[in-house]
Order: sequence, then C-alpha cells, then structure tokens
Amino acid sequence: MTGLQIAFLALSAVMLFAAWKVVTSDIIVHAALWMVLSFVAVAGIFLTLHAEFLFAVQLLVYAGAITALVIFAIMLSDIRELRGEGEPAGAGLGRRVRRLVSRRLGLAPAAVAVGFAAVMYSVYRATPWPGLPPGDPAPSTLAIGRELFGTYVVPFELASIVLLVAMVGAIVLTLREGGREKEEKRP
Amino acid sequence: MPAWLVTLGWAVLKASLILGFVLFNALFLVWWERKFAARIQSRVGPQRTGRPFGYLQSMADVFKLLSKEDVVPARVDRWMYVLAPIVIFVPAVLVYVVVPFGPNLIVQDLNIGILYVAAVTSFTMIAIVMAGWAANNKYSVVSAMRAAAQLVAYEVPLVLAVIGPVMLAGTLSLQGIVRAQEGLWYIVVQPLGFLVFLTAGMAELNRAPFDLSEAESELVAGYNIEYSGMRWSFFFLAEFSNLVAVSAIATTLFLGGWQAPWFLPAAVKGLIPPVVWFLAKTYFLVTVIMWIRWTLPRVRIDQLLDFGWKFLLPVSLANIALTGLLFPVLVRLGWI
Repeated sequence: MTGLQIAFLALSAVMLFAAWKVVTSDIIVHAALWMVLSFVAVAGIFLTLHAEFLFAVQLLVYAGAITALVIFAIMLSDIRELRGEGEPAGAGLGRRVRRLVSRRLGLAPAAVAVGFAAVMYSVYRATPWPGLPPGDPAPSTLAIGRELFGTYVVPFELASIVLLVAMVGAIVLTLREGGREKEEKRP
Repeated sequence: MPAWLVTLGWAVLKASLILGFVLFNALFLVWWERKFAARIQSRVGPQRTGRPFGYLQSMADVFKLLSKEDVVPARVDRWMYVLAPIVIFVPAVLVYVVVPFGPNLIVQDLNIGILYVAAVTSFTMIAIVMAGWAANNKYSVVSAMRAAAQLVAYEVPLVLAVIGPVMLAGTLSLQGIVRAQEGLWYIVVQPLGFLVFLTAGMAELNRAPFDLSEAESELVAGYNIEYSGMRWSFFFLAEFSNLVAVSAIATTLFLGGWQAPWFLPAAVKGLIPPVVWFLAKTYFLVTVIMWIRWTLPRVRIDQLLDFGWKFLLPVSLANIALTGLLFPVLVRLGWI
C-alpha cells in the first residue's frame, strides 16, 4: 500500500465517522461541527487525488459558507427544539431504539436517506466514468475554467439562473411592508 | 541521507520559520500598537519596561500570560472550549505557506494560491462560533453570532476584490501575480479593488470600526470572554497574525509584492533586497489599519451589514465589470 492509499483510507474513515456523529449528536451545534470535519476530510481526499482546485472550493464553499448558513439556521430555530424537547425519554440503547422507530426522528429521515441513496446509485450506474489511470493529475484550474465556460456554458448559465430565481424568491418571501418593519424595531 | 528525510527536514525548517515569524510579529505588533495608539491619543504609551521606549513591554506581557493559572470555567462545553483557540490559530499560520516574501522566499508557490488563502481563512468564523458557543455565556453567543454575520457579509466582497488582480495577471499563483506587476503596480489600475479589499479585510479582522464582535462597551469582551492566560493569548496571536496576513496579501495583489517601485531606475532597485520592500509595504499597511482603528468610532451592527451587502458588494462587482471593459485598453497602452 502506498502512502496516498493509506491517506485516502484514513481520510475516508474520518469522514464516515464524522458523518455518523452528525446524525447521532444530541447537541445540534456539535452536529454542525462534526459536519465541518466531514467536509474537511472530503477536501483532504480531493488533495490526495491532486485536485487542488476542488480542495480549495470544498473548503471555501462547504466548510466556510454552508457551515455559516447552518449556524444561522440553528440560531434562528426554536430554542426548545435545540434543547432536545420532543425527544423520546430515557437514555442509552432504549432511547436510541425508540428514536429509530418514531415517525419524525426515525422513519421519515430513513425514507429520505433511502430515496437519496437510490438516486445516487442510479446516477452512479448510468454515468460512463472516464477511466483515468491512478495517480494521474486532475485537470488544472485553467482546464476547469475552459470547460466550464466553453463546453458546459449552457448548464453553467442555467444553474446561475436557477440560483438567481431562488435568491429573488428568498428576498420576496422575507420582504416586509415598510411600515411594519419600523413598528417592530421599537422595543 | 534518504530523500524523504531531506523533504521532512525542509518541511520542519520551513514550518519553524513561519511559526517564529508569527510569534515575533505578535511581540512586535503588541508593542507597536500600544505605542501608536498612545501617540494618537496624546499619550506616551509603555515606557518603563525597557527604557526609554518600552520595547520590552511585550516580553513582560508574555511572562504574565505564561504564569497565569489555566482556568476552565465550570459548565463550559469542554471539547469545544479547548479546541477553539487551536482552530483559530492554525489557519492564521497556514496562510503564510503561500505568501511570497521574496523571489525565492516562499514556502510553497501553489498554483491555486489566492484561492487557498480564501479557503484557509474561512475557518476563522468556525473558530469564533466554537469559542462563543462553548463558553456557555450569553455575551459570547451574541458576539459569535455577530462575528458569523459579519464574516459572511464581508468575505464575498473580499473574494470579489481579489478577482481584479487575478484577471490582470491571468494566474491564481501569488508569485505569478507579483511577477506580473514588474512594470506597474495594480493599485494604479485597480484603485477601487484595493479600497474594497482593505475595507473588507479590516471587517474580516474584526478590528474597529468593524469590531462589533468584541464591542467592549456592550458585550464585555466578546467571544473570548471566558478565556484567560495562554488560551486567551492564542486568540490574540491569531489576530495579529491575521492582521499581517491581510496586509501581506494586499501588498502582494496591489502593491507589487517584493518588487521595487517600477519608476525607479534599475541601479537604485538593486540597492535594497526584495524582502525589505515586501516587509516595508506590509508593515506600512498594518500601520494604516491601526491608524484607522484608533481614529474612527465603531459602527452599529445594522450599519455594518447594510454597508457590506448594499455598498461594498455592488462596488466590488462593478470593479470586475470595469476591469473586463478596460482590459483591452490597458493591453493596448502596454500597461499590463
């Protein structure tokens, strides 16, 4: 086994362990931080594959921006839910089991997870993967840029439009009447 | 000697050099900021420890911090409390990997250079949220939330301001950007980008007038309120290290890095080594940022967020559009 393979296995183990802790942590802020560790491990895997651009983007977008969004979502959530109210009583294994069979904390997430896994698996089966020899350097930033703004310019622009529509939608949803906002500012 | 041992030796040597630079830099800047702030406020600042200029004051501070008891308050989130000072310090050191101090004086010239800087520094926000949450204190949580809102708001214009020099130089490598400025510093063709970068950089540093997360008069101390001794000092090591990092990156992108001013004759250029030029420009910018800090009052949180999203972000986008429009003109003039 080469050093890179050992690094790949170690990073994968860290990533999977962190992902497990994300869904099992009782304190939601801990879950968010485990998620950061999982993202960092993925970035490390990109680095072992010589994909430096993806490494930087993974850290910048996921470990930085997405985490900030998650933290905002946590801080805007109901404090009773954050403290774990509505959780099955008890401790240890019994509580884990009760949680797994409850509809909101066990069955619904499981259904979503299975559906997502099925989609990912079908994508994985349907995509013709390019057979790059191991150790071959990934395309450089320059090549990625050329592909993105050349070959894939239409999907790229479509994605931009979708994001723009989502942004405008978010602004419209949160926009308040001018008078009401002023009223709310007063203590 | 086997090849891996040589590689390891070099890596250890470079890492120790960076760590040494970060520590000595903090020692110097603690003293410099106290003296400079005192001058602005018509005081003389420290002068008794190390007469006549108080130059041993930082050493006295270090001994005080080292000899303090390590206090971990009851009911803190222990793991997060212990990890937060480390998580804030490591990225502050890692940034220096790609900073070009001279033509050959760089740890590693990554081809994703400036992108790496943006990626590594985004961990500061996580560390601040960790510290604020772990302390189990309402003031520190408020501070962490403010810091998160502020860092997200100002990271966007910061990264967009960087795109100007990258467009002109045609590379993400910091060494490449410096070499591209041999004929003309980018501040001449990117004045808007430089101002946006410096403003957003000051906000990312949590320094006045943008130090909302450490607003002493309303939040007692901010996210580091429950920290003391060496753990507390890690936050300040990181802050001073980041201050120099922002100035060094601004120097690299807009002030020609280690290049001598382009208008000087070649004979004069050869007199002063590149690393001196680099450090002089960097510490000049550090002093400018300190000057602004001790001159301007703190803004309110809503003013801060309005300024970031509604002014700085459009300006940085306009800068990119302008750069694209002016690019053919600059090429024809032979400026780039």
